Amino acid sequence: MIKTAICVKELSFSYINSAILDNVNIEVDIGKLTIILGRNGSGKSTFLRILAGLLPLSKGTVTILGSDISRLSFSDRAKLVGFMNQQHKAIFPFPVEEVVLTGRAGYVNYSPKAYDRKVAHEAMEKVGIEHLSGRKYNELSGGEQQLVMIARVLAQNPKVLLLDEPTSHLDLYYQSRILRLLKDLRNEGMSIVCVFHDPNLAFIHGDDFLFVKEGQVIRSDAGCPPWDTNFLKTIYKVPLVAIPYNGRSLIVTELE
Amino acid sequence: MRKKFIKILFYSLPVPVIIFSLFIGASKTVSINDIYSLFISLFSDNSIADEKFELVRSIVINVRLPRVLLTFLVGGALAVSGCSIQSIFRNPLTDPYILGLSSGAAFGASLALAYTFLPVQVSAFVFGMIAVGLSYFLARKRKNVSTVSLILAGIIVTGIFTALLTLVQFFSDPFKLQSIVHWTMGNLHNATWAKLKTSIIPVSLGVFVLFIYSWRMNVLAMGDDEAKTAGLNPDRDKLIILTATALATSSAVAVAGIIGLYGLIVPHMIRMMIGMDNRLSIPLNFLFGGVFLLVIDNFSRSFSGFEIPIGVFTMLIGAPFFIYLMKKTNIGWE
Repeated sequence: MIKTAICVKELSFSYINSAILDNVNIEVDIGKLTIILGRNGSGKSTFLRILAGLLPLSKGTVTILGSDISRLSFSDRAKLVGFMNQQHKAIFPFPVEEVVLTGRAGYVNYSPKAYDRKVAHEAMEKVGIEHLSGRKYNELSGGEQQLVMIARVLAQNPKVLLLDEPTSHLDLYYQSRILRLLKDLRNEGMSIVCVFHDPNLAFIHGDDFLFVKEGQVIRSDAGCPPWDTNFLKTIYKVPLVAIPYNGRSLIVTELE
Repeated sequence: MRKKFIKILFYSLPVPVIIFSLFIGASKTVSINDIYSLFISLFSDNSIADEKFELVRSIVINVRLPRVLLTFLVGGALAVSGCSIQSIFRNPLTDPYILGLSSGAAFGASLALAYTFLPVQVSAFVFGMIAVGLSYFLARKRKNVSTVSLILAGIIVTGIFTALLTLVQFFSDPFKLQSIVHWTMGNLHNATWAKLKTSIIPVSLGVFVLFIYSWRMNVLAMGDDEAKTAGLNPDRDKLIILTATALATSSAVAVAGIIGLYGLIVPHMIRMMIGMDNRLSIPLNFLFGGVFLLVIDNFSRSFSGFEIPIGVFTMLIGAPFFIYLMKKTNIGWE
């Protein structure tokens, strides 16, 4: 029985002339909502893209549910891991339904079947955007487009879900709806890794927390909760005050 | 409902338009009755051994029919290729000539016209393919081909071959220069069965592959990251689609010359009329692209006693229709 959803070993990655990640070793548990936090430009999104197999590694391996992702075919990888970008630029005015359907590419040879269409519709229902299905994708608001892309990755039906700031453009209704959905999927056994911008949203909803800092991906030390202000100060480099919440803490910045 | 009507209309148009086009031509000796009796004779045993009838037969079967079919094929090939190229490059402003195909082919044709070392069509086809291959090779960096570098490489390659074409024109005598210029404006009037035979296989092959890949174009149109993580290898698929468009377009260019902007505007007309889904629009691009070029060619054939290059009329007739659709429909470009 595999216990780890994602296992990263000795991973290094650099863009031309600048090292982003240096010798990262970390594991992500199966069936948890794991949240990646860190400062702007720390490499959170890069790390998530590496997990999705989108970037070539200079060194190291990424193993997802026991398979080295660099050895998997595109379609096998898609059945295992789903990924959603922070932003997606729409070019052509496809109907929403067709956009969601493209999430089935890993299962479809040349033309989607009725079953693929059914799965795409179920995904739209889960996210709550059936009413948008006939609309043109690039006429939607940023938040609606984000919901469409969430439905798209759900239609892919992966075992591990990687989402880069999935709630960044959503109003409170859809934010809570999507977070509820992510928790339901986790309860059904899916492993979910999200990059979040807002540590408080993370601390309210997350199960496990990773921090990207100076080329490393770390957890807080044993015995020290991730919402500990002294620890977070080392990440965000700013004085913080803790507000107790449900046995955890939320944090606010304190101006000097 | 409206879309369904358009779809049925487009599927049923080609055959009547092809037949109708056989009645149009410069020759005044061929009347409607002549063609009618020719049709009858094709389906009955009693052959008519009349001298006039033989002339009619020759005009219709050996001159008009190959031209009509070739025009249809060329129009369809350009439209399908344009639609495919726009989808995979995620760029509604590109056409099948974007990777230097037209200037490569024009250079190849001019070389053959000026120095007669190869048949014109073969030379145009070969240099068209060379130009596309060169663009692809120049854009490839660390096993990766980005869209922007590919389009940039296409612009450079177009520039190189345009310069070479100018050189050839500069050193050609006036008579050859005239035929080179005429070739680059698009020429369907010297269509023959031989031309049709050389182009029908590569064009059909290319169009068939593009039809098979039409849904994958929907996925590729989402972007590379989105295609990759959904389970499709964008580099491999783009290479296949590019090869198919290059094959179809360069064989079309080889027999018909350069018909500018046709591959850009027809896919947009189809999108405005029928929507974005490439599974619907690829076959309709072929049918409508063929029919529309045929209609335009009919105009250019009946407009005056002498042949005006088709490229002139594709713009003069295509542009108003395009503008009408652009004003009338709300397709949703940002």
